[in-house]
Amino acid sequence: MPYIYNIIKADYLQRTRSYSFLITLAVTVYAAYSFVPPSSAAYTTLSASGYKGVYNSAWVGYVSAIMTTVMLSFYGFLLVNSGIKKDIDTEVGLIIATTPISNFKYLLCKQLSNYLVLLTIAGCTFVVSFILFFIRGAGYPFILSNFVLPYLFFAVPALFMIASLAVVAEVFLGKRNILQYIICFFLCGATMSFITKSGDNSSGVFDPFGLSLITKSITRQINSQFHEHVKDVSFGFIFNGHRKYKPFVWEGISWSAVFIFSRVLWMGFGLALTYFSSLFFHRFDFKQAAGKKKIKVIQQPEADKLTINPAGITRQTMPPLVFNYGIFPFIKTELLLLIRQGNKWLWLLNSGLWIAMFIVPLPIAYTYMLPILLFLQVTRWSDLVTKEKTNRVHYFAYASYKPLLRMLPAQIFAGILLALALALPVLLRNAAGLNGYAIINIVNGSVFIVLLAATLGILSGGKKLFEVVFFMLTYAIVNKVPVADYLGGLTHGNTITYIFIIAGINIGLACAGFLTRSYQVKHL
Amino acid sequence: MALEITNLTKQYSTQKTALNNYSITINKGILGLLGPNGAGKSTLMKLIATISKPTQGTLFLDGTDIVQHPDAIRRVLGYLPQDFGVYPNLNAYEFLEYIAAMKGVGGTGLRKRIDVLLEGVNLTADAKRPIGTYSGGMKQRIGIAQALLNDPKVLIFDEPTVGLDPEERMRFRQLIADLAQDCIIILSSHIVSDIETIADEVAIMQDGRLITKGYQQDIIKQADGQIFEIFLENNSLTEFKNRYKVIDTARQNDRIKVRYISNDAHAAPSSTAVKATLEDAYLFLTQNNA
Repeated sequence: MPYIYNIIKADYLQRTRSYSFLITLAVTVYAAYSFVPPSSAAYTTLSASGYKGVYNSAWVGYVSAIMTTVMLSFYGFLLVNSGIKKDIDTEVGLIIATTPISNFKYLLCKQLSNYLVLLTIAGCTFVVSFILFFIRGAGYPFILSNFVLPYLFFAVPALFMIASLAVVAEVFLGKRNILQYIICFFLCGATMSFITKSGDNSSGVFDPFGLSLITKSITRQINSQFHEHVKDVSFGFIFNGHRKYKPFVWEGISWSAVFIFSRVLWMGFGLALTYFSSLFFHRFDFKQAAGKKKIKVIQQPEADKLTINPAGITRQTMPPLVFNYGIFPFIKTELLLLIRQGNKWLWLLNSGLWIAMFIVPLPIAYTYMLPILLFLQVTRWSDLVTKEKTNRVHYFAYASYKPLLRMLPAQIFAGILLALALALPVLLRNAAGLNGYAIINIVNGSVFIVLLAATLGILSGGKKLFEVVFFMLTYAIVNKVPVADYLGGLTHGNTITYIFIIAGINIGLACAGFLTRSYQVKHL
Repeated sequence: MALEITNLTKQYSTQKTALNNYSITINKGILGLLGPNGAGKSTLMKLIATISKPTQGTLFLDGTDIVQHPDAIRRVLGYLPQDFGVYPNLNAYEFLEYIAAMKGVGGTGLRKRIDVLLEGVNLTADAKRPIGTYSGGMKQRIGIAQALLNDPKVLIFDEPTVGLDPEERMRFRQLIADLAQDCIIILSSHIVSDIETIADEVAIMQDGRLITKGYQQDIIKQADGQIFEIFLENNSLTEFKNRYKVIDTARQNDRIKVRYISNDAHAAPSSTAVKATLEDAYLFLTQNNA
């Protein structure tokens, strides 16, 4: 077993020793800080039909643990679902395939290193929860177990499951990232729905996150104290303006042996899933993984193989050199790269959604379908400005003539063209309805999402950060969180101000992206 | 046309100096860079290609400071990095059109230019296939083609023959011999025989410093009288290696022919002095300066 420890350690270090992981931790600390909002905030993170707990140890500790479990279940999956892909891209996988390590042990190492990454992030939120208690605390005593136990029995087992699901998704869905995101989205959504609606009867045993136990405890407390019939508890960032909540004192839950045993069983289930997936693991032999698909063998004519052109290349045979320093040839190729990126089946889905946006009621097309259609292009935009590095073309790119002034604008312009083409049905329908603000908002939003992709890609040097942020934005928009509404589909107090805010963010993003890329071009 | 490099230093950290006070003048023709791993060859090439900035020192191309004005060289530069990639979803035409756009090459003759280059590197038959399906040697050839897209006046090839089969290596040599007449070509290789057959001048580097630069025959002269051959029994080779710097061994019948470096006074008895090659001179000079 010691060698497994070394593999996990190396994998963990490889993932965490990166600038993007540092950014992830910084975002985590900020997010953890927002998990327990001040009473003056326009949102809350846990409430039950107008009731909210006072900020004692139990409330702060449990809310922090719950939010960590929920958020990391959604977004943690996206953070860690590329462990095997990395081995494919770096071709380390080919070396691994020739070693005696079994498929199960290899996947187990990946799962455990996924798990360690998630636990590191959870560790940050755990530390922040202490600090929050003293910042937000209302004079209630500090009880350590109210912080440790919810993390131990909710976050720790749930993240183990997520780490396992990431491995399973990589084995069965490989490069189909979008499909992985969709499945993750629906699985987590379904689980959350089960948790929030489970009410008074749940033991938490059948819930992979265990959070329905909280629902049960909170509703029972409110119903008995205030003689109510509350059934639902809401988790997540809930924007209700400055709504006044009725306070109540909640002291946490009593942990039953059955519940704790159920967490162990869920972790065992995660392990079993990893074992099951190891039976189908390609072990970096993709021809074998292709199964029964017939691989077309390209036959070259015999003469071609032997022909050597003795003339070589001479300047005399070349047509005269014509210089063209415009960006349009770039835009053409960037569009080509954007369109060809990803699986072809996704274009079928895109086409279906695109046509449907002409037919369904405009509010649905605008507030639900358009954000989802744009999100489906996440892998196209996430490598808009990182593909030079990932494909190792950056030496050509950065040694070319004025790369900053020609290439980056072309990439951004191509990205925006794609976004606008996808948004065309909603744009046309708003134009037909003479809704100028909506048109400006959609154009602004399209520019925003492409600039966000470019800037986060340039800053982090990778795709993950943008993918996670875009996922969060889309989830938030679909759940009608106004602050995430980059397309302007929701109602905002002052439309003009909103337009200027998004335009201002766009300018800020563009400046940050160009300045950072300018530095990178000079310091490769 | 001349590239003047003066007191060039590239320091990555306080512990790592890749180039140390390096000065050289490079004129038209082919300059071969030789040196062990970590000698600073790739760093020097990156600095000339303007994808890295020096910590100290100057680089002038025909009197223009290319550190301050990198676009002056970028217009006339062809660069083949040691470790480069491609966009796997593009075919050879599309990829070369893309690189042409980066280099600012366009016009109606672009397609013809790409045709000539693909023909020259023997990729015409595969030009419509995605580059992701290419072998290592084919990718290397597309790399060579992209370097030539803009009729470069300065050509930098970092390990250009890696992955090429013997026929393609021969073609590459012919190719750059043709191009060398009116441009500066700098190429590095670990394969001394490649440099030997291609380069007009050779620069030997070690630990970020220039050990020597000159025509091949002048460099070889520096090792004259220092190279010997001797026939040994199998069991005495290990002990011999402890005493002399062995360059090469070859089994002949029951004995081993050993080529080694020594000065005349300390050569092993019954050794024969032999004519030095560029490889001998390279090993002799890098050993002496270690």
